[in-house]
Amino acid sequence: MSFSFDPYSPAVDADPFPFYKTLRDEHPCFWSKEANMWVLSRYADIVTALNDWQTFSSAKGNLMTELPNRAGATLGTTDPPRHDRLRGLVQHAFMKRNLESLVDPIKQIARETAAPLAGQKQFDFVTDFAAKFTVRVLWAALGLPLGDEATVREKAVLMVQSDPATRSKGPEHIAAYQWMQDYAAGVIAERRKNPQNDLISHFSMAEIDGDRLDEREVLLTTTTLIMAGVESLGGFMGMFAYNMANEHDARRQCVANPELLADAIEESLRFNTSAQRFRRCLTKDHELHGQKMKEGDFVCLAYGSGNRDERQYPNPDVYDLGRKPKGHLGFGGSVHACLGTTIARLSVKAAFDEFHKVVPEYRRVQEQLPWIPSSTFRSPLRLELARA
Amino acid sequence: MPNVTYIEPNGNQREIDVPAGWSVMQSAMSNGVEGIEAECGGSCACATCHCYIEGDLAAAVPAAAENELAMLDNVVAERKANSRLCCQIKMTPELAGLVVRFPDAQS
Repeated sequence: MSFSFDPYSPAVDADPFPFYKTLRDEHPCFWSKEANMWVLSRYADIVTALNDWQTFSSAKGNLMTELPNRAGATLGTTDPPRHDRLRGLVQHAFMKRNLESLVDPIKQIARETAAPLAGQKQFDFVTDFAAKFTVRVLWAALGLPLGDEATVREKAVLMVQSDPATRSKGPEHIAAYQWMQDYAAGVIAERRKNPQNDLISHFSMAEIDGDRLDEREVLLTTTTLIMAGVESLGGFMGMFAYNMANEHDARRQCVANPELLADAIEESLRFNTSAQRFRRCLTKDHELHGQKMKEGDFVCLAYGSGNRDERQYPNPDVYDLGRKPKGHLGFGGSVHACLGTTIARLSVKAAFDEFHKVVPEYRRVQEQLPWIPSSTFRSPLRLELARA
Repeated sequence: MPNVTYIEPNGNQREIDVPAGWSVMQSAMSNGVEGIEAECGGSCACATCHCYIEGDLAAAVPAAAENELAMLDNVVAERKANSRLCCQIKMTPELAGLVVRFPDAQS
């Protein structure tokens, strides 16, 4: 039987890694007819593509299954030099030196979110901890108005999904995206009326070379910040809890010495990051591994596979707390590397510091997990944990 | 493959083959070189991949663009005439043998 790779299939949602191994070893530049794009799976090829943004453009969209009318109006879907100017407007808010003031509030949120788990023998980590923690952190970081947190999270998780049958966004996903745009528009209008010293106020009134940003840029970048903040942080926390529940030795070491959480987080970002696959579009014909790719073809960069490439990381399928992986693709890389790396690292560390004080020993309950149906992201929709 | 010598803040030297087309920052990060943070990933938006270009090849490195010169105002170590943000330097065969030194602090 000939090999196929369908990023929409539930089998890939559940366990993409055997597929990735075949891709890397036998088809390093593979045409997926189901996804209608090329797939790059080796670390070095992905990094080369990320560095060569002139050839591998993001301007036609970066999500595997792109949302309508979004490409070209967000950080992730703009190429340099415009991208770098936009990024310059928001980067400062996400720099280590400027996040100091959030460290204590985030620790406090972690304590308050973990406390109610004290009496529980079994719970859903996603709903009962990750979701609650994530929205509160994001609200603190972006200064969003309180009241709609649960709905915002629900829509953020929906809008990144895709339909495995039609291999596209379904009406419910598009509706969630529309809802999020309306929500973001409301926040932007509010901030313009009553400017605060916060990111959305600054961004919504920012200028590049004396020109105000395009209205669509302001709206969709804000929409994406909220989506990425809620979904990506929550999704990664689900993956991290999944690893900690599976890797008893690593978890016990982290409970005994919470400083090791930083290493555990890096290894999780490498081992099974929630951001599995993003895409680019070729601006010119390009040949790789004997395959002739054409201008206008889409190319999937399978970060999750590059992170398991034995050419870069020895024993890649082992979760190794002592590995301290360098240059992993858990946050993507190069010009489009995740904007939220610092806040994500400090939030996850604070969350598990407190979570482990309340629930130090735990195991998974479900044998099979319900994975999010998404061609881009991978995380469990629910993760039942029981005290062990 | 052209090589770059990275000098870490403690003086340790690491000679690394860098694929053409990768930035000088990328290779440092992929190989775990000490002394670089590269917080923004390579958008010339953070000033934490600050390096000093040493030696004769400094003249062969394409000059910094306006946005890099502006961002260099934000480095925390001393800004010198040979200061660059290494995310903005793409590896080419002409730069084989480049020597870059990382400062004591990036943030």
